Amino acid sequence: MTLATMETEIPGAPDGIHVEPKSVDEVVEVLRHATEHGIPVRVWGGGTRQKMGVAPPEGLVMSTAGLAAVEVWEPDDLTMVVGAGKAVGQLEGELEESRQTAVLPENSPNSTVGGVIATGWAPLRRARMLGLRERVLEITSVTGDGRVVRSGGRVVKNVSGYDLHKASVGAFGSLGVVVSVCLKLWPVPPVTATFTMRDPDQSYRLNRPLALLETEDELRLFSWGTQAEIDDLASWVDGDFVTGHRWPEDPGGEFRWSLRVPPALTTDAIDKGRPWPFLAIHGAGEVRFASESLDGAVELRSWAHSVGGSLVLIDHPGETPSIDPWGAEPPAVDLQRRLIGEFDPARIINPGRLPGDL
Amino acid sequence: MAVVEELRELLGDDRVLDDPLERHIYSKDASLMRGNPTCVVFPKSTEDVVRILAIASSHDAPVVARGAGTGLTAGASPTEGGIVVSMTGMNSIEFDEANSMAWVGPGVINLDLSKEAARFGLHFAPDPSSQSACTIGGNLANNSGGPHCLAEGSTTSHVLAVEFVTADGEVIVTGGAAPDTPGLDIRALVVGSEGTLGIATKILVRLLPLPQDVRTLLLSFSSVEAAAKTVSDVIAAGLVPAALEMMDQRMTQAVENWLQAGLPVDAAAILLAEVVGSPVAVESEARLIESIGVQNDAIDVVIAADSAERDLLWKGRKSAFGAVAQLAPDYYLHDTVVPRTRLVETMTGVYEIADRLGLTMVNVFHAGDGNLHPLIAFDSSDSDAARRVRQAGDEIVALCLANGGALSGEHGVGVEKRELMASSFSELDLDAQARVKDVFDPAHLLNPAKILPAGSRCFDFGGVKREVPEGAWI
Repeated sequence: MTLATMETEIPGAPDGIHVEPKSVDEVVEVLRHATEHGIPVRVWGGGTRQKMGVAPPEGLVMSTAGLAAVEVWEPDDLTMVVGAGKAVGQLEGELEESRQTAVLPENSPNSTVGGVIATGWAPLRRARMLGLRERVLEITSVTGDGRVVRSGGRVVKNVSGYDLHKASVGAFGSLGVVVSVCLKLWPVPPVTATFTMRDPDQSYRLNRPLALLETEDELRLFSWGTQAEIDDLASWVDGDFVTGHRWPEDPGGEFRWSLRVPPALTTDAIDKGRPWPFLAIHGAGEVRFASESLDGAVELRSWAHSVGGSLVLIDHPGETPSIDPWGAEPPAVDLQRRLIGEFDPARIINPGRLPGDL
Repeated sequence: MAVVEELRELLGDDRVLDDPLERHIYSKDASLMRGNPTCVVFPKSTEDVVRILAIASSHDAPVVARGAGTGLTAGASPTEGGIVVSMTGMNSIEFDEANSMAWVGPGVINLDLSKEAARFGLHFAPDPSSQSACTIGGNLANNSGGPHCLAEGSTTSHVLAVEFVTADGEVIVTGGAAPDTPGLDIRALVVGSEGTLGIATKILVRLLPLPQDVRTLLLSFSSVEAAAKTVSDVIAAGLVPAALEMMDQRMTQAVENWLQAGLPVDAAAILLAEVVGSPVAVESEARLIESIGVQNDAIDVVIAADSAERDLLWKGRKSAFGAVAQLAPDYYLHDTVVPRTRLVETMTGVYEIADRLGLTMVNVFHAGDGNLHPLIAFDSSDSDAARRVRQAGDEIVALCLANGGALSGEHGVGVEKRELMASSFSELDLDAQARVKDVFDPAHLLNPAKILPAGSRCFDFGGVKREVPEGAWI
């Protein structure tokens, strides 16, 4: 078999040879070929966050769309094994019918499961439900030199060996291209509700809300629970309320950013970023911004670093960002490089996308 | 200069112990496996740890970090000899109240952290049964769980950053108070690595607010199946209680005989459920659980009236292992996980194994997440009983794996399940893990011969230096 049988055209993808493997074996074949010939491979999920990090050089673009099946779904065990190419919105839609959720990013329906894992893109419910690392119970991935490696297990609690599957979150495929993942599901309580809060001071009375999200226009409280719990909230929260969850969009603009700071500084972070439009995730220390230019970015990044945080460029016009997308070299960069070397010896999977020129 | 002398020069005589009695005391953790350490040292700072590792490295001496020694898999037993590094002296706590976090030394005792945090209205969620003795460093090493991890996750969910020292003496801080530190998440590998990748010297933990209100329910059933069905139905109703714990009749009887807490000794299984949140939430959720229990033919449902009753119920659960001392002088506690829907059939199989081998077994487990803790009471001076206990252990693990489970839910692999890793992972999977070990600790000085079976490195069988000695079991 040659790669020619896998060739396709991926809408929106940059120049290069586009391939769409339909099986794990085909992924192995693509990556082995790339390693043998030293060809960079850009892994393509939904194409929603391809601008994070520095773009890999032209080479192969490998879509995960051919690996999008739900392999196993055990609703009573709260586990699901799904291919990396499954779209987040579609998956959550299917789960919703059984009143379950994988707590994947709520406002990113076109992203794929593999994509949100590779980029470590967190859900808006992260203050309460934490990030994607919590959801990933098992990962099967293919290393750069074509080894199929599994880490973790299909149970909700597990300590057996090093958690390579958790380390794969945010690794941009450098520890292997994620081909399938076992997700930890969560039951959706009987009632879900979204409140638009008129009085921000009331937020201090909330006890670990599911999400408290602020934009320049409004402050929304997301809750779930029994009818009695929601009725209780409705009795004292000053504002409008609807049943169901109405997730806000991330702010749009030429440049999009994720500012990460210690949670107590979330409100300061909003102020530092003004006048950029924003979506702040209270309790989690993440504020997503958009801007039309780079003006103010260096100052904001400098402040973020001064408080132990970071300002990460998520999207930008053109192929090459005109500012370092990460802002700093990561700690233990040599250790990271050696680790990646064990999983992608020819460094062909998304090379350069991680900070520190990894 | 000999390694002990060099360590004495660094730390002083009182922080280096090498007399036979002290070495014997530190020769094992709470498992049954004993090693033979050269000495025990007590660092007080990260710098001490760096220097200890430098001395160890120059002598090619293995280094085993140890917390309180409550581990059950020989993870802290120096089975390869070498230096035991007791982290108990590194026990500072630095609270960051605004962010609900704390930087803690690895030697801080789990329960002490929660007690100290209570003055800020906070607590540390992982609560192993050994929480009054075990340390945060040990929790980190084993990714420890506990009854309240059902809703909140195990230790890995609550570790935001780790400062650790690698085998070559590099001090690395991974993670931070801000989320999503750019770069690889090294922290994810270090948590649960049982001291084989580095020695943690400082840990940033997430603290959760103390719940506004709590309700604890005790439901009794005439069959294990009905109790298990209740667990499934509660979750299907959209509730993830803070805890859902089950005890079988034999365990309940042992606990009641000792504690006199009024536990229903006639029930085939009891379920301890706890919900936390606002007063309205806990009231409505407790009633929902009660009604689900009744639908599943619960023979009795008791809701703790006050904190004293609640504490008594929890004391019954958390003291369960101690209560077993009435049955036999020793016990062997297992820790495996199965998908929750396979719980009942797995339990049936586990009872069959114990009965066939003529062993006294009781069960207490985290039913909400399918985490079993079959406990075999025996007399270790009876060599045949010890043999049957080991056989039962192997069969129980094999059964759980056959039912789609995993080797360990919260105790770790250590030496106990090291050779069983090959029944859970392929050669390539183990090779990938061995590569991680080699990157962090190429000379295999840090807690060698743990987690990964010898020869895990597919293409480099020389990578693992030491084998488990024959007769490590006692």
